[in-house]
Amino acid sequence: MLRRFLALILIACAGFSSAIADTLRLGNPGEPETLDPHRYNLRLEETILTDLFLGLTTFDAAGQTVPGAAERWETSADGLRWTFHLRPGLKWSDGTPLTAEDFVYAFRRLLDPRTAASLAYFMYPLANAEAVNAGRLPATALGAVARDAQTLVLTLEKPYPYLPERLLYPTAFPVPSHVIEKVGDDWVKPEHWVSNGAFTLVDWQPQAAVRLKINPHFAATGLEPASVSGVDYLPIASEQNAWNRYRAGEVDAISAFPSSELDAARKEFTRDLRLSPLLSSMYLVFNTRRPPFNDVRVREAVALAIDQKVLVGPVQRAENRASTSFVPALVSEYEPQSMPGAELARDARLERARALLAAAGHDAAQPLTLTLRGFSGSETKRTLLAIAGFLDSIGVEARLQQSELKVHFADLRRGDFDVALAGWFGENNPEHYLSLWASTTGDVNYGAFADPEFDARMSAAAEEADLQRRNALLADAEAVGIANFPVVPLYSVTVRRLVNPRLDGWIDNARDVHPTRFLRLR
Amino acid sequence: MSAALTRVLLTVIAFLAIITLVFLLLRLAPGGPFDGERRLPPDIEANLRAAYHLNEPLPQQYLRYLSALARGDLGPSFRQKDFTVNELVARGLPVSLALGSGALVVALLLGLPLGLVAGMQPGTRLDRGLMGVAGLGIALPAIILGPVAVLVFAVKLDWLPAAGSDSAAHFVLPIVTLALPWVTAIARVLRTSTAETLSLPHIRTAYGKGLPTRRIVLSHVLPLALVPVIAFLGPATAGLLTGSVVVEQVFELPGIGRYFVQAALNRDYTLVMGVTIVYASLLLICNLLADLIVLWLDPRARARVKTRVTTPT
Amino acid sequence: MDTLTRIAAGLLLGVFVFTVAAPLISPWDADHIDWSAIETPPSSTHWFGTDLVGRDLLTRCALAGQTSLTIALTATTLSALNGLFWGAVAGYVGGRADLVMMRIVDVLYGLPFILVVILLVVVFGQNPFLLFAGLGAIFWLDLARIVRAQTLQMRSAAFIDAARLAGASGFWIVRRHVLRNVAGPALAWTTLTLPGVILAESFVSFLGLGVQEPATSWGILIADGVPSIESAPWTLLFPAGLLAISVWSVGIVGDHLRDHLDPLHRSVTQGPGLRHARETQPPKQGNGS
Repeated sequence: MLRRFLALILIACAGFSSAIADTLRLGNPGEPETLDPHRYNLRLEETILTDLFLGLTTFDAAGQTVPGAAERWETSADGLRWTFHLRPGLKWSDGTPLTAEDFVYAFRRLLDPRTAASLAYFMYPLANAEAVNAGRLPATALGAVARDAQTLVLTLEKPYPYLPERLLYPTAFPVPSHVIEKVGDDWVKPEHWVSNGAFTLVDWQPQAAVRLKINPHFAATGLEPASVSGVDYLPIASEQNAWNRYRAGEVDAISAFPSSELDAARKEFTRDLRLSPLLSSMYLVFNTRRPPFNDVRVREAVALAIDQKVLVGPVQRAENRASTSFVPALVSEYEPQSMPGAELARDARLERARALLAAAGHDAAQPLTLTLRGFSGSETKRTLLAIAGFLDSIGVEARLQQSELKVHFADLRRGDFDVALAGWFGENNPEHYLSLWASTTGDVNYGAFADPEFDARMSAAAEEADLQRRNALLADAEAVGIANFPVVPLYSVTVRRLVNPRLDGWIDNARDVHPTRFLRLR
Repeated sequence: MSAALTRVLLTVIAFLAIITLVFLLLRLAPGGPFDGERRLPPDIEANLRAAYHLNEPLPQQYLRYLSALARGDLGPSFRQKDFTVNELVARGLPVSLALGSGALVVALLLGLPLGLVAGMQPGTRLDRGLMGVAGLGIALPAIILGPVAVLVFAVKLDWLPAAGSDSAAHFVLPIVTLALPWVTAIARVLRTSTAETLSLPHIRTAYGKGLPTRRIVLSHVLPLALVPVIAFLGPATAGLLTGSVVVEQVFELPGIGRYFVQAALNRDYTLVMGVTIVYASLLLICNLLADLIVLWLDPRARARVKTRVTTPT
Repeated sequence: MDTLTRIAAGLLLGVFVFTVAAPLISPWDADHIDWSAIETPPSSTHWFGTDLVGRDLLTRCALAGQTSLTIALTATTLSALNGLFWGAVAGYVGGRADLVMMRIVDVLYGLPFILVVILLVVVFGQNPFLLFAGLGAIFWLDLARIVRAQTLQMRSAAFIDAARLAGASGFWIVRRHVLRNVAGPALAWTTLTLPGVILAESFVSFLGLGVQEPATSWGILIADGVPSIESAPWTLLFPAGLLAISVWSVGIVGDHLRDHLDPLHRSVTQGPGLRHARETQPPKQGNGS
């Protein structure tokens, strides 16, 4: 402790420490809570883990799904059996060969109840996964088997055409069994660290930096290795600080800056500015457990009062995209279904909204009052205030309540809200979004919406192995669901980044993934 | 000596009381440490709770915590899953200490001359002018001064780094921001005690004898006038340490104050408790040391100095 | 009263009048969104400009001032009552009770107070009344010590003995004599505590743990203004200025009150100072220190 203090002073006396020229410094929007791929929870951890590990599938520079540790795979006709062929010569960063057994070990560890992985359900498509995770079946019952060192066979519970995409997440990454068996939970410490990605962990100073350096054994995979020698991920939680540090030349790329500075960035950082629409859906959810939100007329009235275009335009001024469907327009091979009334002019919408409210028994004498909940942050605040303003125009009084992200979503899952702002990010898969309305979904169906017809259509889609037919069935389901207004779709997010123009190989994409191995310093 | 022993004993009791208080307070908090943005199925949440002994009855959790604490073990962090609280404190504390001690030095360097000069001539225009300027220190809180200072000195002038903790330069803005309110406080304490000391009979005698002003101030006034300042250093050091919570938050410095805020917002029970215990023990030790020094310097001052202290935030 | 104190008192009064009067006079409602003027600079229609969703900043600054000052005054008053009661009882009763009560104060001194405020808000939720109580429960320690010391001194004073001989009850004595005599120092202390409470509230609000919209406070306005420090500097400038002026003037006025009302500090104004020391002949029986 004292030695560290002295060391700090010494470093301090030495003045600026000059960073190695080809080590990238990337801003990450917060501090990772863990670097264990099975215990991770956050997008900002996904970013680092994607550099550290290589899953069966992986991202290319443009964020598309491409073969990773598996060079190819076959699917059985019923869509239940997937055979993955690993690349030859795969190695861990300590030189130990990596085999199909390592993947089996990893899947079992993820679903072992003792691991207590909060995202274990990501791999519930695997046969018996849910039962293994609940401790009802032994780990050996899991639908993951190594046929030989190079061949991995995954068996599914039901057809799941989105599997290659699901395997992109750290929950499907292999972990070094030979290290874990020796040092236990300490395997995540830099001194024991072994991984199979383009980079390996050197050091982690909490709230200061996670430092990675190139993994010399990655080149053996035949995939493109990193061209920079290392990368430092700096946790920069406030957008204001990110903006300042980027301008002071302290970081090569940042993940966000205050939306109010967008105009300044356009002028001063024309070549650095990256605006890219993200696969995401921001929405208002109604708590259908609580009257009057169990009344579809009230829900529709609120939905009609909101002007998505004004929200993303003059209010947010952040290039977010107004949306009237729940599934984002960016989801491929899918036709999003707009909410009824979205096509009406503003005045017609308001008139209809007032009529619906009156029919539901709310007028000037008995105005509807509600609490509008949202998470913390200045952009969220703008959004909530504007929504309160929209509601004011149909005589609805909204009180605001902003709370910390984790507390907000915890309360949502407990059903402790009237109307709340929520968001769902990530997958290029309509089911990922629509399953939030299924009555069987549990607590992420925050508003406890239940509609038998919608449920029936979702179950029908779940039996379909063909992606296009499945997505068509899902579009039917969305149309049925949105007509009952379980939510008000608001917008999909546009990520605003600043990226040093000296950095080559940065390709904007809808997932906002930029594996460091594709980045080059000019 | 028994007075000193009593102080030490009381400090230990105070320490235990604080641990208990914070432990109970945190267990009253709504929401658990595992409420994330994504869902946790009940089975998995049960697994997590068991892994951290949260399923045990409260008294048992309390005893478990105390016995671990007695071994110097602050336990695992609920949120920072790859670190123990000990590891986090070991990494964050040097940063906070560097920040706090730097600010203390700056506060003394600026506050002492201001207070001495003002206290030599209380009520004069010079005194009021100096105290008016010193008053600004407390009027510009870190939440305003921090962002403005970064904008001016890091972004526009490019003299200093905007955030981070890699070098001494990174600490300049945080240290000055943290020190300013304490410049005011130290100046106020020394001003008052200097004015008081000047009214003591033997100082007047010294003047009567025609000794040069400089000598009187340095060898007669200052030693006495500094006693309350020394007594004040206890609370001041403690205040600087807790003040660093605000500054670390504003400048995103990786000290334990930042851990505390993040942990409190995330309901990381063990980390919050660990940091609170570290802060409380630093506070108690500072106050104890100040008390003991004052006892040793001037037993009569004891009753008085305690009542003199008004701390800024 | 010297010029500095007069300036400070004037500014303080100005801020006070502004926060109370502005919402009454302003043509804009504090919640009204001017959709055509979102985040616009000061103009003849909006003197302080508008905030992030187009609400009149002048009205919101005043409303925020009401909240901040109410919280500060309520918390400080609670604190003062608490400290007066605790200190007076401990000092008057004395003995074992005094020992125990002052040890409790010692224990609470060891609490890192800003951490405690954050913990209280996190634990008990974002309720302004809890914020009052939380802040009020922490700031009274100094006062309890001051009052106790005064009470102890006074307990042995001749007029208290006289009152007791005349048959007055202990409660009556405390109320009549002790409280009257500590009122001055207590008022000075209260004034000097106000800035601390205002700043604590602003930091808690800055973290997003304070009052909730549409209510507002200076801390909230500052937190909103910081991200727009360059694009809309007025959103930071006005609330920050008001906060700084209030804290500065309260500090100066409090200093003045303490110099005049607190017997421990009276020598500052009544003592000789350097010039007087030089001019005055020392008393002959200066006890040879």
